[in-house]
Amino acid sequence: MSVLLDINSISLSFGGLKALSDFNLLMNKGDLQGLIGPNGAGKTTCFNVLTGVYAPQAGEMRLDGKLLNGMCCNQITRAGLARTFQNIRLFGNLTVLDNVLVASRTQIRHTMFGTVLRSMGHLREERALHAEAMTLLEVFDLAHLAHETSRNLPYGSQRRLEIARALATRPKILLLDEPAAGMNPQEKKLLAELILSVREKFHVTILLIEHDMCLVMSICERITVLDHGVTIAQGTPQEIQCDPKVIEAYLGKPMESEAI
Amino acid sequence: MVALLRGFYPYAIAILIAFVMYKVMPVGAEKIDLGILQINSFFTKVTGAIGIAIIMAVSLNIVNGYTGQFSLGHAGFMAIGAYTSAWITHYGSIHFFGNANAMEGLFTKGSALFVASLLAAGLVSALFGYLVGLPSLRLRGDYLAIVTLGFGEILRALLNQTQPVLDEFDIEEATRGEIFTGLGGALGFSGVPKYSNLFWVWSVAIITVIICYRLKQSIHGKAFLSIRENEIAAEAMGVPTTHYKVAAFAIAAFFAGVGGALFAHTLGNIVSPNEMNYQRSIDFVIMVVLGGMGSISGSVIAAVALTILPESLREFSEYRMIVYAILLIVFMIVRPDGIFGIREFWEVKWIRRLFRRTPKETHAP
Repeated sequence: MSVLLDINSISLSFGGLKALSDFNLLMNKGDLQGLIGPNGAGKTTCFNVLTGVYAPQAGEMRLDGKLLNGMCCNQITRAGLARTFQNIRLFGNLTVLDNVLVASRTQIRHTMFGTVLRSMGHLREERALHAEAMTLLEVFDLAHLAHETSRNLPYGSQRRLEIARALATRPKILLLDEPAAGMNPQEKKLLAELILSVREKFHVTILLIEHDMCLVMSICERITVLDHGVTIAQGTPQEIQCDPKVIEAYLGKPMESEAI
Repeated sequence: MVALLRGFYPYAIAILIAFVMYKVMPVGAEKIDLGILQINSFFTKVTGAIGIAIIMAVSLNIVNGYTGQFSLGHAGFMAIGAYTSAWITHYGSIHFFGNANAMEGLFTKGSALFVASLLAAGLVSALFGYLVGLPSLRLRGDYLAIVTLGFGEILRALLNQTQPVLDEFDIEEATRGEIFTGLGGALGFSGVPKYSNLFWVWSVAIITVIICYRLKQSIHGKAFLSIRENEIAAEAMGVPTTHYKVAAFAIAAFFAGVGGALFAHTLGNIVSPNEMNYQRSIDFVIMVVLGGMGSISGSVIAAVALTILPESLREFSEYRMIVYAILLIVFMIVRPDGIFGIREFWEVKWIRRLFRRTPKETHAP
C-alpha cells in the first residue's frame, strides 16, 4: 500500500474564524474515503484548500510525494487532483462532448501554432482525445447526448457529466463534492454503483463529501468527520457510527436532566 | 504529406479567391455592367472596407466572444498596426528605393516590403496586446473595459504629439529621433505608399477567418470558451486561464495590427489619429455582439452588413445614423444573443429548419 495523498496538519482561518484547524488525512492508492460533517463544518473549504483555491496558512499537502503548497488550481489539477463542484459548474453553453474535451486538454502537447497549421501532432492528439472522450461519455451513459448543449441536460445527467469531465483530466485522485445532492433514492443507488465502477475502471482514488449517510456508510472504507473545522473522528463506517463525539455533533448533547 | 496539404490548402484557396476578387473588381474608371447593377470602383472600395471590417470583427471575437473578456481597445491595436507599417513602408521605401511612391504591379520589391511591414505591424501590435492583456488577469468586466479604453485613448493622445512626416528631401538633414517620431502628429500620416488592394485585404481576411475557425474547433479553442463559461471550473479542469487570456489578447491584437496596416495602405494616408478612437472600437464591439459572441460566421455577416448598411442608407443623408441605430436596437430586442449566439450559422437550429435539413449532427474531429 503506497501513500498517495498525505495531508499534514493543514490550517486555514478567515479572520477570526477557524475554517480548518490541524487537518490530517492519509489516502492510499485505490482508497475510497468519505468526508462528512454538519453544515459549515469546513468540508468544502477542505476541498478548496486541496485544489489550490485557498492557500493553507500552515501544514503540508503532498501528492505522490510532490508538494502541492503554493501551486495554483490548474497546476494542482494537472498534478493529478481533479474535483467536481457542489453547485454544478459546467460550461453551460458548450456541448457535452466539448465539456469533456476542455478537461482533456491537460494531455495536449501541441501548441496553438500546431492547431492553426493542422500539424500531425494536432491531428493525432485531437483524434485520440475525441475517441477517449466518447468512451468516457459511454461509461457515464451520456454518449447519445454528446452534441447536446450541457445546460439543457437533466440534473442527474449534469452531475454525471461533472464526474466525467473531472475524470478526463486523468486524475490520480478524484474529489467529489456532494455528488448525490438533490438526487432521489433510486438515482443515489445508481450513483453509488457508478462511483464504485469508476474506481475500478479508471484506477482512481476517491475522496467524497456527502450528506447522505446511507451512501457514505455503504461505499466508503474510511470516513473523516469534521465539525467547526476540527477533525472529531476518523475511522471505518462502523467506528464512526458508534463514536459519541460524532453523535454529539450531529444530534447534540444529551440533556442534563437526562444525564442525572 | 497529406497532412501537410490538409494544413495548407485552405490558405492557398484563400489567396486564390482574393486574387480572383482583385482581378474581377473594377478600379479607376472601369465598370462592370450587370444590367440592373452598375459595378464601379466605389464597390471595390466598399469591398475593401468590408474585408478590413471582417479582420477586425473576427479577431475581436477571440477576446470578447470566445474568452469573454471585454475589450474596448481594438481600434488602438489597429492604430499601432497602421502606424508601425506606415512608418516601415514610408521610410523603408525612401531608404531602399529613393522615394515613397508605391510601385506598380502586384508582386514587386515594394510589395515585399509591404508584406514585411504587415508582419511587423502584427507583431508589434501583439506585443502591445500582451501588455494590455496582463491587467485582464486581475480585472474583469467593466473594469477591464475601462483599462482597454484608456489604452486606446492614451495611444491616440501620444500619436497626436508626434513630429511631422519627413519626405525624401527632409530626411537627409533629419536626426534619428526626428525620423523615429515622424508620424505626422494630429495631421495624420500622409504619403503612405498605396500598396493595399483587394488581393492583400481579402487574403488576410480569409486567412484570419480560417485561423480563428480552426482555433475555435480545436481543444485549445475550447479552453478559451471554457474561461468565458466558467472561469473557476476552467481553472479546476487544468486550464491555465492566465495563459489563455493573455494569448487571446495577443492573437486578437496581431490581426488587428495587420488590419490597421492594410487600412493605412488603402487610402495612402492615415487621416488623423482621431480616426481610430474609441468610437471605432465600439463599432467593432457592435459587430461582435450583433453577430453573436463566439460565432465567427456571425461576426463575418455582421461586419459585412454593418459596413454596407451606412453606405446603402446614404440617400437618407443625416437620418441614416438614426436608422442605423434603430435597426441595431430592434435587432438586440429580437435576438439578444446576436444573430447566431455562440454557434456557427450551419449549427443553428432555426437555420437548419429553414433548409429542412435533418437535425442529425455531423461533428468530425
